[in-house]
Amino acid sequence: MAVPDEVLAQACAGVATAREAIYAALAPATWRLIRRVVGQRALAEDIFQDTMMTLYERLPQFRREAPLGAWLRRIAISRCLMYLRSPWRRARLLLEPDEPGAGAADTPSTPGYRGEWIDLERALASLPPTARAVVWMYEVEGYTHQEIAREFGRSVSFSKSQLARAHARLRAWFDPHGSRPSCTLI
Amino acid sequence: MHPDLEKRVARLLRELPDEPGHPYGFGEYERRARARRRAARPLAAAPALAAMAALVVIAAVLLRFGAQPPAAHGDNAVVAARTTGGDGTGVPTAPGVHAELMEQWLASLPHEPAVVRVGTRAAVMGLEDRIAQVDDLLSAARVERAPPVHLAALRQERTRLVGTLLEVRYAETLADASR
Repeated sequence: MAVPDEVLAQACAGVATAREAIYAALAPATWRLIRRVVGQRALAEDIFQDTMMTLYERLPQFRREAPLGAWLRRIAISRCLMYLRSPWRRARLLLEPDEPGAGAADTPSTPGYRGEWIDLERALASLPPTARAVVWMYEVEGYTHQEIAREFGRSVSFSKSQLARAHARLRAWFDPHGSRPSCTLI
Repeated sequence: MHPDLEKRVARLLRELPDEPGHPYGFGEYERRARARRRAARPLAAAPALAAMAALVVIAAVLLRFGAQPPAAHGDNAVVAARTTGGDGTGVPTAPGVHAELMEQWLASLPHEPAVVRVGTRAAVMGLEDRIAQVDDLLSAARVERAPPVHLAALRQERTRLVGTLLEVRYAETLADASR
């Protein structure tokens, strides 16, 4: 959703109604993105709050080279990845069950959900957080492997291998009797 | 590869319906933002306090070891003795005298060694990077259903690294507390 220039200027000047208008326009999409990438609701709320605070703090630096929504999505992705890279999240791995992603994501239970969406939600929830973030960034957000590698501070092959593993796991949900795919093929 | 299935999964991912609504309204956002800023205020002063404490420690070390001319003379004599084999006057000394000089110098040192605080940032970052690498290996091993013995070895390595990191951070805490 586009934000008019005058609203942007007022928000930069600290006008509360303008800031609220920006929130109303951009918060829902930002929330959905963060929720998809990190899974857990409580954690997603923390990152969402952090993302919106960063947006208002950096608003005067926004150079309008891209739509404000796209700029905010990059901030949101960066905040999600910062969390995924943090040693405190890694420390929690020891306390989590062996099954990757088990219990990590509470899937939405919207009425009218198609069966395959439910399968996909479950499949996504079964992915390790890093693989879920990579597959979402690549398939939905349109990031390239180079961009994902840069955001994670890792190599391109890291992004490719994470995506291959994620796809292998997602395929297994939809074709459980299919031949076991190789994770190294890209 | 399964290109058709992969395409189908990718299409489904893009079509996946969004969770309705967003977590909270602007009023709640503002309230949480104020609470976070309040909580962050004491932390904002922490780097300045740490820098001041580091300056105090450096000054104390300089005063302790820099303002002792007689000891410094003794140190020079020992250094000279160690490099020339003499007592610093250029006249060779007997091996017994040389050893005695060194022992005297050692005896003049404080009983407890001086604790010089070095930066731990590089060590902490290195350990955190290695933990991240092991985490990636663990994650991959779990997805590929690696043998339990392999997982156990990785977990053991991770525990060892976290233990080392904990020791470094604990030492930092003690050093801060002792100031």
